[in-house]
Amino acid sequence: MATRDVFRGAVDRIGGEPVSARMARKAPIRHVDPTLLISAVALAAFGAVMIFSATESKQLQAGLDPGFFLKRQIVYAVVASVVLVIVSAVDYKHLRTAAAPLYIVGVAGLALVLTPLGTVTGGARRWFNLGFVTAQPSEIAKLGVIVAVGALLARRKGEVRSRDVMLCLAAVLLPMALIYLEPDLGTMMIFSALTGALLLIGGAKVRHFLVLLVLTVGATLAVLQMGLLEDYQLERITAFMDPTPNVQSEGYSPFQAKIAIASGGVKGKGIQDRNSQTSLDFIPEQHTDFIFTAVGEQLGFMGSSVLLVLFGLLIWRALRIAAMSRDLFGSLIASGIAAMWAFQVFVNIGMTVGIMPVTGIPLPFISFGGSSLLTNFACVGLLHNVHMRRFL
Amino acid sequence: MVRRSARRHLAPSKKRGKDPEPKGPASTPVIEPTLVRLGILGLLVIIAFGALFSRLWFLQVLASEDYRVLARENRVRRVQSEPPRGRILDRNGKVLVGNRLSLSVTIDRQSLRGPRQQRRVLERLERVLDRPRSDLRSNLLNPAVSPYKPVPVANDVSRKDVTYLAENQEDFPGVGYELLPVRTYPEGPLAAHVLGYVGQISEEELKAPYFRSARPRYLGGDLIGKAGIERTYDRYLRGRPQMEKVIVNSGGEVTDRSVIRPEEPGRDLTLTLDAKIQRLSEKALASGIRAARAANYQAIGGGVTVMDPRTGGVVAMASYPTYDPGVLADGISTKEYGALGAATPNDPTDDKLLNRALQGQRPPGSTFKVVTAGAAMASGVASSSSYLGCPPSFTYGVTFNNWTSADMGSMGFARSLEVSCDTFYYALGARMEDTFGAKEPFQKYARRAGFGHVTGIDLPNEAAGRVPDRAWCNAIRKATDGAICPYGWVPGYTINMSTGQGDLIVTPLQMATTYAAIANGGKVWKPYLGSRLSVPGASGEGRVVRRFDTRVTARLPLEADELGVIRQGLVQVISGASGTAAGAFAGFPLDEFPLSGKTGTAELSATDSSLNDAWFLSYGPARSPKYVISVYVERAGHGGESAAPIAREIWEGIGGFNSTTDVTLARDSSG
Repeated sequence: MATRDVFRGAVDRIGGEPVSARMARKAPIRHVDPTLLISAVALAAFGAVMIFSATESKQLQAGLDPGFFLKRQIVYAVVASVVLVIVSAVDYKHLRTAAAPLYIVGVAGLALVLTPLGTVTGGARRWFNLGFVTAQPSEIAKLGVIVAVGALLARRKGEVRSRDVMLCLAAVLLPMALIYLEPDLGTMMIFSALTGALLLIGGAKVRHFLVLLVLTVGATLAVLQMGLLEDYQLERITAFMDPTPNVQSEGYSPFQAKIAIASGGVKGKGIQDRNSQTSLDFIPEQHTDFIFTAVGEQLGFMGSSVLLVLFGLLIWRALRIAAMSRDLFGSLIASGIAAMWAFQVFVNIGMTVGIMPVTGIPLPFISFGGSSLLTNFACVGLLHNVHMRRFL
Repeated sequence: MVRRSARRHLAPSKKRGKDPEPKGPASTPVIEPTLVRLGILGLLVIIAFGALFSRLWFLQVLASEDYRVLARENRVRRVQSEPPRGRILDRNGKVLVGNRLSLSVTIDRQSLRGPRQQRRVLERLERVLDRPRSDLRSNLLNPAVSPYKPVPVANDVSRKDVTYLAENQEDFPGVGYELLPVRTYPEGPLAAHVLGYVGQISEEELKAPYFRSARPRYLGGDLIGKAGIERTYDRYLRGRPQMEKVIVNSGGEVTDRSVIRPEEPGRDLTLTLDAKIQRLSEKALASGIRAARAANYQAIGGGVTVMDPRTGGVVAMASYPTYDPGVLADGISTKEYGALGAATPNDPTDDKLLNRALQGQRPPGSTFKVVTAGAAMASGVASSSSYLGCPPSFTYGVTFNNWTSADMGSMGFARSLEVSCDTFYYALGARMEDTFGAKEPFQKYARRAGFGHVTGIDLPNEAAGRVPDRAWCNAIRKATDGAICPYGWVPGYTINMSTGQGDLIVTPLQMATTYAAIANGGKVWKPYLGSRLSVPGASGEGRVVRRFDTRVTARLPLEADELGVIRQGLVQVISGASGTAAGAFAGFPLDEFPLSGKTGTAELSATDSSLNDAWFLSYGPARSPKYVISVYVERAGHGGESAAPIAREIWEGIGGFNSTTDVTLARDSSG
């Protein structure tokens, strides 16, 4: 490039361009990613509609406000949008210094939820009851882990040594252990997945992955051997493997989910169908973990495809941002988020269509839940942060 | 330009190569492999999405239809209600089977939460209704009733009890009451075997062609005819139940219901049966069996069929022993069924449900001689004017004896029937065997006259009987390894059959059919009971909507003179000086009410005559007979002795004569 030649004494021009103009051109506000923002908002709107259709009839039957869940989700979305703006406003380089405190806050949250401060729902202690709303610290912790491990690996600049890998593992295993105690097998799986992705992008070597693979298999066998899993967790997995599961007990939800999705056909039954599996409440946990069944049944293959395309768009933007980032830290954060979403989408939809075992993983942006929506919007904010500041 | 600078940290750094010490501040360019690694991540994402897409394609596009069916099964339930069942009337419109409403206590299984609550409710019901809890429980658990329909657990509950239940509803969750139609029998156990009874459809019956092919479909829990006319005409009697489509949610709660088809009450069925003659027949049969038992015969059972030879309509059909269909009327409990003593291998005689008139298969004895005579004349081995001897015995390889050791001399067909000469018919059987052999004209004629196959009467489970011939003999020989028919077919079988003995077995209904053919000039009817259907009226018979016809299945191939000698013989059996039933009808006003008939004694044991079956077939009055009466008593000695008096009592009733006083039983040994 010939910019140096043009630079003759005066510092007000770079490449014949006034510095002020150059500054203006590179200003973060001029590098918004509309595709990312629109797809995220579209997903959230999609989710709100599906939550309404999945809860309306049940609420009506119970004599409650049919729009209760919809209204809550809208409130969450508004709050989450504010969070998005805040997160994208402050340069993410400050996160490197804030990584350690963020991580500590996340782990502290996970530890606190295990104390009597946390609420037990369905046998698991995963939530804080804040009166008007419940918060799930493991959702926030996901973001904390991405930032913390990202910061750790970014320091190595692609030259990852075994002891770096061990450090990362240590940083992840602590929150994972806490989550195991809740218990929440699904979130543990997400942690494993995004750690793998961060190590991959961070520059871990093939031998590291081989050792990790061996360790994972060994740990899995050990867990099964020592009976560390709850019976219902094991049954869910065996029900998934069993070609003829008992559809009355553990196999009930995935069976009804599959019926709902497949009976939707190409065009779906429509949101208004009063005789759908969704309206007749055949699917447990439909507005949270099994929200995709409402999509599949009421909007059919076409609606499901639109949803998958929206997810694809979002993840593509995240990976693109990872590739365009000005530094490795940005790439790591972006790819970690992309991997987290992709994994959650695959496992969640996979369990409703019978290709993955049932785990309590929410579908990002779609499932009902404030913590989840907040985290995902914060992730969008972070991605956007990286995207906007790629020229600085 | 922009793009390139955007990837500043990914700029080529080949020259740095494997430099182990990443030196310099953040401005040092990051190695290129990050892009490759992002590519790997992107590839994994694409694979995951590809898997989801293809799975969704499979489920929602390729397999959608199957799952749509499953979804429908999840939510749609069909619930049927029972319409009032059609009544069954006799030929004069007298109600034989009707309905009444029973105040019944029902339990909605949906509202019982758990076995503990169920037990408590049943305990309380037991106390209030004073019915055994085990009964209530087995009724409640009846798997045949749809779970969306309240199950009746106790019938004929008092109003007081129902009021108590209604006032204490909180102690009886799910308990309700309904007025349910229950079968009534105004004539008591009259014609129990013909009418049959009702009960809840069983798994096997649901699979039977009659019920499977019917529309509207039969469903578990439906009350159906289990036997007799109730069974044959169930489709018309049941009516069309109201069909309701019910949509349920996952909790089984009904979210929507709509009547698909309104209720249509069952049709009334009018029978050819005459309640008066039916009562007469049953009484005569019972008293005849009592008399036979008094004469030291076992007389374990018997059957009577009264038929109209002009139409084939069955006027009465009685079987002994009988039962009271009233105990089975509600179709709720099956406990009473056992008390009827269904046949067991150890005691086949105890079957009160067996209709001996069409299910009892016995050799007919000499009553069959009219068939032999007809076959002989039809095949040409004899003519209406033929005379044959009646020696004490007939030898054809082996010796066949007449019932008397006296030589009764030469005689024609009429007299051979009057005295029931066995050797006369042995000779005819031998002639047919000699002349035609394997052409078997005798067997063919017998089948034509209605034997060896069901008559086709509109009652279930009719027995076919058997006409032994060469094909049967060969088949049974093979099947039994030579225990039966050890030498294959021998002429002796035909000779035996000519007097209604041996392997020939018939039902009383078949005998009635063949005698009706003789009485009506040769028409072999398909007997029938159901004559017409009507829309229920306020009383008696309503508007007729359908008539059932019967048909002539065959004609006896006999000329008028040939039929004439047979008829003449049958007249002489009763009114001739040496007629075998003359004694049994002594004192009967035959001038006023001329009758024809034939006695029969099936010899089931060569030595013990008390094991013989007694038969008596008769028709009358005179030349244009209105009734054929077929009587048969199992293990009761001779036809003239045990069966003819039963027929006589029925004839007296039909003719309106007073019961006779001076009956001298024919105590000879004729058949």
